[in-house]
Amino acid sequence: MIEAIALTKSYGPRLALNNVSFTIERGEIVGFLGPNGAGKTTTMRILTGFLPATGGDARVAGFDVFESPMEVKRRVGYLPESPPLYPELSVGDYLGFIAELRGFTGRARHQRTGSVMERVGLSGWERRILGSLSKGYRQRVGLAQALLHDPPVLILDEPTSGLDPAQLVGIRDLVKSLAGTHTVILSTHILSEVEALCPRALVITKGQLVAQGSLDELRAMAPRGDWYLVEVDGLDGPRLGALPQVDLVEPLGADGAWRTFRLNARVDPRPAVAELAREAGARVRTLEHRLPTLEEAFVSIVGRE
Amino acid sequence: MNRNLQRRLAVGSNATAVTVLVVAAVVVVYLLVDRFRIRLDLSADQGSVLAADTVNKLGLLDRDGQPVTVTAFSAQRGKKESYFKDRQLQDLLEEMDYNSAIVETRFIDFDKERLTAEKLGVTDYGTVVVQRGDRRVDLQDRDLFRRSGKGDDRKIEFLGEAGINRAFSQLMSDSRRVVYALVGHGELDVEGHDPNGLSELAAALDQENYDLKKLDFVRDRDQVAPRVPDDAAAILIARPRVAIPALEEDLILGYLATGGSVLVAVEPGSYVPSLLGRLGVVVPDGIVLDKLLVFPYPDRPVPRYKSHPITKDLSDEMLVTVVSRAAPVQASVPPKEGVRASTLLETSRDGWIDRGGALDSGAARFEADIDGAGPAAMALALELGPESGLVKRGGARVVVLGDADAIANGLLAEGPGNASFAINTFRWLLGDEGRLSVVGRPSMVRRLALSAEDLGKVRWLVLSIGPLLAVLLGAGVWSSRRGQ
Amino acid sequence: MRAIWTLWKKEMRIYFVSPLAYVFLSAFLFLAGLFFYLGVTLTGEASLRVLLGNLAITQLFVLPMLTMRHFAEERRLGTLELLMTAPVSLGAIVLGKWLASLTLCLLMFLGTLVFPAVLAYYGDPDWGVVFTSYLGLVGVAAAFCAAGLFASSLTDDQVAAGLVGIVLLLPFWLVGRAEALLPEEWADTVRPLSVLVHLDSFNRGVLDSADIFYFVAFTAVFLFLTFRSLESRRWR
Repeated sequence: MIEAIALTKSYGPRLALNNVSFTIERGEIVGFLGPNGAGKTTTMRILTGFLPATGGDARVAGFDVFESPMEVKRRVGYLPESPPLYPELSVGDYLGFIAELRGFTGRARHQRTGSVMERVGLSGWERRILGSLSKGYRQRVGLAQALLHDPPVLILDEPTSGLDPAQLVGIRDLVKSLAGTHTVILSTHILSEVEALCPRALVITKGQLVAQGSLDELRAMAPRGDWYLVEVDGLDGPRLGALPQVDLVEPLGADGAWRTFRLNARVDPRPAVAELAREAGARVRTLEHRLPTLEEAFVSIVGRE
Repeated sequence: MNRNLQRRLAVGSNATAVTVLVVAAVVVVYLLVDRFRIRLDLSADQGSVLAADTVNKLGLLDRDGQPVTVTAFSAQRGKKESYFKDRQLQDLLEEMDYNSAIVETRFIDFDKERLTAEKLGVTDYGTVVVQRGDRRVDLQDRDLFRRSGKGDDRKIEFLGEAGINRAFSQLMSDSRRVVYALVGHGELDVEGHDPNGLSELAAALDQENYDLKKLDFVRDRDQVAPRVPDDAAAILIARPRVAIPALEEDLILGYLATGGSVLVAVEPGSYVPSLLGRLGVVVPDGIVLDKLLVFPYPDRPVPRYKSHPITKDLSDEMLVTVVSRAAPVQASVPPKEGVRASTLLETSRDGWIDRGGALDSGAARFEADIDGAGPAAMALALELGPESGLVKRGGARVVVLGDADAIANGLLAEGPGNASFAINTFRWLLGDEGRLSVVGRPSMVRRLALSAEDLGKVRWLVLSIGPLLAVLLGAGVWSSRRGQ
Repeated sequence: MRAIWTLWKKEMRIYFVSPLAYVFLSAFLFLAGLFFYLGVTLTGEASLRVLLGNLAITQLFVLPMLTMRHFAEERRLGTLELLMTAPVSLGAIVLGKWLASLTLCLLMFLGTLVFPAVLAYYGDPDWGVVFTSYLGLVGVAAAFCAAGLFASSLTDDQVAAGLVGIVLLLPFWLVGRAEALLPEEWADTVRPLSVLVHLDSFNRGVLDSADIFYFVAFTAVFLFLTFRSLESRRWR
């Protein structure tokens, strides 16, 4: 559905995007990850036809962004980083305007704005002036604007930034409901959001696509693999490290007599630890297999700043 | 073609080049459009675009190639219609500039650019100087505007196009008309610069393209048979002191018979040419005095203008012609058949013809026994018809002026209306009163009939109600939105 | 076409739901009223010439302020991105905005029609001249709106856009005034650039093909430049 082939974008001498290629299939929800200034917004602007690429090609919904921008624009719903609202207009007027821009008139226009407002939870807010809305509601109106023409492709630039937790859940549920029927690409720097919404993610930094894949694949890119959390009373680091299965012991802290360790091991060391504790008469509170977090993977992929 | 290259062509430096090209193309097209203009005058008097005749004349001037400048001076600010006058003149100059390559026009603020005025020797507001080579024609306010009506019906029309058009004609044609001043009988000196000389009159006539030459029958008689020259457009007899021989008067009558014109100016006590009697004009003894309208002595009565083409402008403009010790001039009773006499200047009802008595002891007072009753005429205009037996066909014109001083240097400069009176007189005599002949339709001032009370209403309407309505409308919308 | 109409409606709505339009309308009507009143007392004539001559220069300052917010504000709010990712052409966006600002001008002029009405009540104005004068006024408005939009497309600070607009237009004004100060050859070259020169014949009741073309070309060139400027901001 979305295809980027060797996209390059330079602003004068500065290279904002360098040879970025990826493919997103129909119905996928893909997270677009990267630190601020990595090129997420630039990529999205190229895909929406707002910015032209300096080099490379992009195809959205089967149309070349450069050659048939109108066709692409018709099939894309786009929510820029800050919702593009006219503070003087009311919600109803604004969405009505968008509907007309998208070619809906008369009853179709009415029906469209009504249904989209219901969808994003804005029912009954038609007459409110956009300038007086809270951040969360502005975001909803922005989203309504992007969803209004029920586009097969949605490009959302940080759709949840600045929302309170309750609003966050609402928007996330909304995006989730789009899965399967819509292709969604959403950028964020909140990893939990990707974990909550996207089976797949693209990681971009300094203008380059550095990783892509399912979340598990990304996690596997964390440098130290999975690990084990141990909380014991009566065992110390060296004794744990002496176990043959354990490669590395890292003390993580203490809670009274309880001490916490992180163990890295190639073979599950939990039975051995339990055995050791029993022998030493130590008490065990936690013995847990931990997968690497996306944070870890992310930090290692984009590198520490 | 490489697609990236294709993109680069559509954008970047090429886009700038395309932009520049498009703008350049527009400029080129403008230059073409400018060359082949179509103009449509939608104003009611069609006065905004030059008449075909004027355009033709400008074309002739262009073809000739000799530079022409038209310098117009502003009207006196604060006076009625000064705005109308200035604007009409400026518009006209602009149109002329636009229609001609050779004619340069300037509009000069008379108050601000005195130097320009001095250089051109212009002393009056609203003067237009048309120059070509070393020749020039001056147009005065009276040549440019025509007034009619009184009070609220007062109208002023702009005839500047016709005036300047005529000036062009005068400058292009070499023919100057000649006014001959009779000499040899103690007349006022044509070349004299003293207060009794006529040099100022000669200068004023020169600007009208009239030459003032001497007519000396005596000298001529020594050589050939004396006669009035063929190029004589008019003869001026200015206050002869001694008798004019009958032979000479006959020559002048003969000249009149062929359709000529004569201005006879007398003074109390000067010789009164006998031909005046033949024309049905009487110059009684005495001088004209007035009690009511004087300037400032009784022997300087302020003449009232009687209706006549000569006095019309002066009367409309209320320009006073100053006279000093004028002789009464009257049409004979009964009037001479075939002569149409019109009074030009006259005293008020309180004026009279004084024949001495109390006046000799310095008291100006009407004495019914010796003085003649007023109002007393001081100037007459005569048109001679065939019935008079003096001319074969119409067209001969005579003006008799009871005060020769009025056209001499002294009063010509002093009196506000004297120069105009003199020039109008000659124009009428020479059949040039049509100098204001209309080319195209004149533009008329469209006056507003606004009383002070009306003005107050208008001020209230335009300064308060309009803006207030807009504010109220805004406030209404604002509050209705606030309510939501 | 329909996109232009949609955009026009949006611009008009924004104009009229904010106090802006009314402030302008009110200020403009007051100024116009002042000029009219002065003109009437000064000349005593049933003519709009003083008023219209002054309104033209008023527009030089008012119109850039009226148009300054268009692209500058859209860019600041991020709504330009919205418009440019919607299926409408850039040309439609520019035209929609231009037509909207021109419409507002026409509404302001509509308010000044009370002046010829006053003239007709107390005198006999030359309707042909009134008509062409208004035509000239509309020409100036069309041209200055286009230039103001161009200025607005250059920056995302609307105050700066307003100032740029005024600075951009001033030369077209001053050329007519400074003519006398320039050497002759220069004066003749720059003369056709002057708004005053072209407006003059309108104010005298004359429709001149070259003057009409001037205003049309002025408008077209600036609309084109606006288009280019917006486009180049994308490419850069």
